Amino acid sequence: MSIDHLLKKLSVRSPWLFRINAGSCNGCDVELATTACIPRYDVERFGCRYCGSPRHADVVLITGPVTTKVRDRVLTVWNEIPEPKVTVAVGICPISGGVFRDSYSIDGPLDRLIPIDVNVPGCPPRPQAILEAVVLARSIWMKKLGLEG
Amino acid sequence: MSSFLKVLFRNVLNGPSTDPFPLGETFTPDRLRGKVLIDPELCMGCGTCKEVCTAGAIDLSELADGSGFRITVWQNSCCLCASCRHYCPTGAASLIPDWHAAHPEEDKYVRIEQQTVKYEPCSNCGTLMRPIPAKLARKLYASSPELDPEQLRHLCPACRRLRDALKGRPFPVAAAKVPAEAQA
Repeated sequence: MSIDHLLKKLSVRSPWLFRINAGSCNGCDVELATTACIPRYDVERFGCRYCGSPRHADVVLITGPVTTKVRDRVLTVWNEIPEPKVTVAVGICPISGGVFRDSYSIDGPLDRLIPIDVNVPGCPPRPQAILEAVVLARSIWMKKLGLEG
Repeated sequence: MSSFLKVLFRNVLNGPSTDPFPLGETFTPDRLRGKVLIDPELCMGCGTCKEVCTAGAIDLSELADGSGFRITVWQNSCCLCASCRHYCPTGAASLIPDWHAAHPEEDKYVRIEQQTVKYEPCSNCGTLMRPIPAKLARKLYASSPELDPEQLRHLCPACRRLRDALKGRPFPVAAAKVPAEAQA
């Protein structure tokens, strides 16, 4: 193991999260806010924090069934996130369309538009399930950086 | 100042309020709706759950050879509303509090609850049919102790009607063909 690799491994710990609402009902967004803001769940223990700009993000959490109106905006914002990024689909809507499936105004499911790495179904998922997904996303992110596994 | 010290003391005594999960254990309410399960012993294949499913996550289809049916719940589409449990006439649909749902993309289409139920031949005419679950049959015939639910549940609906019409006399030999013709 080179010193460069070792330094990288020591320094890279904190994936920053970015949240995209692709036409969600806000249920999943409330759960995402819960995992970040309520001390009981506290996602910042894993070095994760929500950032305001997609250019700073490492893990992107997408909620909502991707409506026709919001599709291009989601793709624009998602393309602004630098590689390597990990995409997490939160809730059943981005995964399969959920209760909005087959609607005229839905362009999802999301994996038709962009590659997804982690799914966390639920309507909405529990904060603990979201924490599990973030931890899974973190390990995938470390793999993409070549630091683990 | 003193109220601040009180809060400080309490926090020192009680420890952090953060749940140790995922580094430790967490709590799960008993009635949490986490995952739909179908009991193949009880499912009659009536399709009520498919009809009421809010997210359209349930599929019910006959097997290609007509020997039974297959019920599929796609967990990644299920919105956990528990309508299937509420409306299931036999109580075959249930929800367990297993909320460990996060999975990598390659497992996306693996997360299904699928049960295959085979038909059985009617004990009189041999027509393939789904016998009434024993628990349900006992409940249905509870008010008539003279009837044997174990015997009745293996008869097809046509033979049950015939049995009622015969009023306890044995089935005639030719009757074996009657239900088949009635169905045709």
